[in-house]
Amino acid sequence: MDLMISIFHRKQVIKAAAIVMLSILPFLFSCNATPTQEKGQKNIDPAMVLPLMKEKNAAVIDIMSHLECMDHRIPGSQCIALEELDKKLSVSIPDKKQSIVFYCESDRCPRAGLAYEKAKLLGYENIYVLEDGLVAWKRAGYEVETLQRIKRAPVVSIKSTKLDVFIKEKKDLFILDIRSEDAYKANHIGGAKNIPFYMLHKKLSEIPKNVSVIVIDENGKRSFLACCYLINNGVKDVMRLFGGMETMVHQKKNKG
Amino acid sequence: MTKKHWAAAFFLFLVFLFFSGDACAATLKVQCSDCHDSERFKTGFKNSVHGNTGCTSCHTSFESLDKHVILKEKPGMISCGTCHSEIEKQYRSSFHSLYEDFKCHDCHYDIHTLKPEKENFKIAVTKNCTKCHTNDEYVASGHGAAVMKGNKDSATCSDCHGLHDTKAYHTSSETNLLEAREFYNKTCKACHSNKEMMERNNISPNAVKYYEETYHGKVQDLGYPTSVAGCADCHTTHNILPKSNPASAIHPRNLTQNCGKCHPGIHPRFAEYKAHPDYRDKERYPQLYVSFLLMAGLLLVTFVFFWTHMLLWWRKVYWDKHRMEELGIKLESPFTHKEGIQRIRRFSVTDRIMHVLLIISFFGLVITGFPLKYHSTPWAGAIIRALGGAHNAGFYHRIAALILIGLFLYTLWRCFRFAFPTGFRKEGWRGFFARIFGPDSLMPNAQDWRQFKAMVKWFFGKGKPPVFGRWTYWEKFDFLAVFWGMIAIGGSGVTLWAPELASHVYPGWVLNIASIVHSEEALLAALFIFTVHFFNTHLIPSKFPMDTIIFTGSYNLEELWRFRTPEYEKLVKEGKLDDLKVKHPSITLKLISSMFGHASLWLGLLFTLILLWTFFFA
Repeated sequence: MDLMISIFHRKQVIKAAAIVMLSILPFLFSCNATPTQEKGQKNIDPAMVLPLMKEKNAAVIDIMSHLECMDHRIPGSQCIALEELDKKLSVSIPDKKQSIVFYCESDRCPRAGLAYEKAKLLGYENIYVLEDGLVAWKRAGYEVETLQRIKRAPVVSIKSTKLDVFIKEKKDLFILDIRSEDAYKANHIGGAKNIPFYMLHKKLSEIPKNVSVIVIDENGKRSFLACCYLINNGVKDVMRLFGGMETMVHQKKNKG
Repeated sequence: MTKKHWAAAFFLFLVFLFFSGDACAATLKVQCSDCHDSERFKTGFKNSVHGNTGCTSCHTSFESLDKHVILKEKPGMISCGTCHSEIEKQYRSSFHSLYEDFKCHDCHYDIHTLKPEKENFKIAVTKNCTKCHTNDEYVASGHGAAVMKGNKDSATCSDCHGLHDTKAYHTSSETNLLEAREFYNKTCKACHSNKEMMERNNISPNAVKYYEETYHGKVQDLGYPTSVAGCADCHTTHNILPKSNPASAIHPRNLTQNCGKCHPGIHPRFAEYKAHPDYRDKERYPQLYVSFLLMAGLLLVTFVFFWTHMLLWWRKVYWDKHRMEELGIKLESPFTHKEGIQRIRRFSVTDRIMHVLLIISFFGLVITGFPLKYHSTPWAGAIIRALGGAHNAGFYHRIAALILIGLFLYTLWRCFRFAFPTGFRKEGWRGFFARIFGPDSLMPNAQDWRQFKAMVKWFFGKGKPPVFGRWTYWEKFDFLAVFWGMIAIGGSGVTLWAPELASHVYPGWVLNIASIVHSEEALLAALFIFTVHFFNTHLIPSKFPMDTIIFTGSYNLEELWRFRTPEYEKLVKEGKLDDLKVKHPSITLKLISSMFGHASLWLGLLFTLILLWTFFFA
């Protein structure tokens, strides 16, 4: 050791050690962290849904709107919108020990996770969330069932910059925000009317048919079907906001 | 049976056939078109792409035709996948199926009158897609507009996004950076590396190739597109326009903002950076052409000179050694054996530590930098993966560079102390020139030139080998080459490290020059060290395989006397020899020196082989 110290001065040894440590640090941080599960949330994959239905008589619940659920859902599902869960879940499933699987329409939808939290508060014990929702279900090769299909129609999607121009220029514009009441309260475009998707079929009469309607959703994944529904019901000029409110907020933030 | 009976039987058979045919026809008397008698089904369907198939080829799920006829049963959903199974397979994993639950007829609107669109396929696709993905943002200009004008080379929607296999992710660089960059780079390159197609459309046929010669292109080619700009980052995704168009993202007016997305705080002159230049094109890029030519010339001259020197030296030493062995000649020595093995210090502890750090930083730079230079080789990818990715490699490269810069600055300080031992005071200047051009200095002088000439003559058997003092001319070159190297490779490296800051000093095209200089100077330095320096210091037959003096710090008195006679005589004359006498290096120091030295030597030689393989075979 004395010899080593004679070769390298103590301070230089410390400096060298610091450089080596610094070189190792990025290796430690470069490892990708594995995706963490939501706190306590039990996620399942599509292959586990059917056995749960058969063996534990699990209730599979589409947590989207009534219209979306009737359009396409996992065969044998129940349709209970997240916004109506407090009211309807205990009626549909009185047994708190009943196994329940919640699912969303896509892998970018937080509704099933929110439903999980709500059901937990309501006292349900065996709750699961189908990870990545219907998209994962379809990817796994399972079929969906359709009870009342909304006929697809060409729907123009516009970006937020164009919406700004429309707001400035167009007088006959009806901005329809189909997000939940809570999301709408948190932030919305000035002049937008809130009819959550789960209420759309009940409040159809509130939507004018002869003006341009621009539909805004959370992230651009739901507005297409809402637009098709409006077109099928006689609304002539329907457009949707590309990327929904999420993209709009993101772009506005970036612009500062 | 008689002939008459045969004839009667045959007649009866014909009668049976006649009536039985009629009877069969009677069972199929209900035709679909009897009820579905509109033009759409009658003529439209017949002339459609499916016209040669029957109604029941698709509408298979009937339980009872009778019930259907009286409107009691509706046919179920048809399955296009029964015939179009391959398309169905692709479609099931597409965005439209997974996220929007589209069925075939949601795009193929009237399936009954559908006709093939062979002639105007691209236009038909554009028209169909833009029913939803319409608006000026997609097809107002650029590729879409060209398609609509009838250009059959220009990309329609499906050329990039797929037809039935539209990717099931958001192609937004903001949310899915890796997928989006990989997707855009791949799709853009697919056409833009097609030379014939590009020439046909008056577009640069080598844009992809030149892009891949830049830092952006090299890093993405190594498999790390998230760290660098891809095609779509600069050219945007739709409505891609030529730079002459003021609306184009790459129009000079918009470039500062465009580059500034990734390089905040740039000076507008940053935009003068060439994103895919051809440095061989002297008309368009004269600065880059000259830079490349100068660097190539420097490499050529340096290696032709030193490799020739190396070869001639090796031949002379090897031949002389052979003759001495053959004739049994032993070298004379004025010392007894005990005196001869007395160790004399040549390098201080600081010198040795500096050289160890230099080796570490040099290898650090080579290992982390060369994979970028030769990005398309298999070894480059393997090294970068082993280092944990391009980002980590870049981090280590900078750490190694900092060590080297630190060493260089310390060397400058030592040079200053050598030239001015007492600072800039009057007495400091005294003897300045004597020191600078004296026997202890690393500055070349007339003596070196004489020694070089004597050396060359000796190579060819004319005259005796020159007698060297403390420093030989090749050692001085090694030392001074680092000064040039640090200016070239260090200056360019710091520029490339902080290009945004650099733009406030010089225009963007200097970054292109810096890339060329950094890259070529690195090759010069690495090959020089791994061949010339290694040969001069270690591989020359008199020292083969390794001289560990830079690690142990000392050599034998006899070696000093034999190889550096004037130095020995000077030390004796000045009475300093005794001060330099040190103990024989310990076994531990020798072992560590040997291991570290050999590891460095063989790693360097291995790298030289890899480089040679790359030049000739990769």
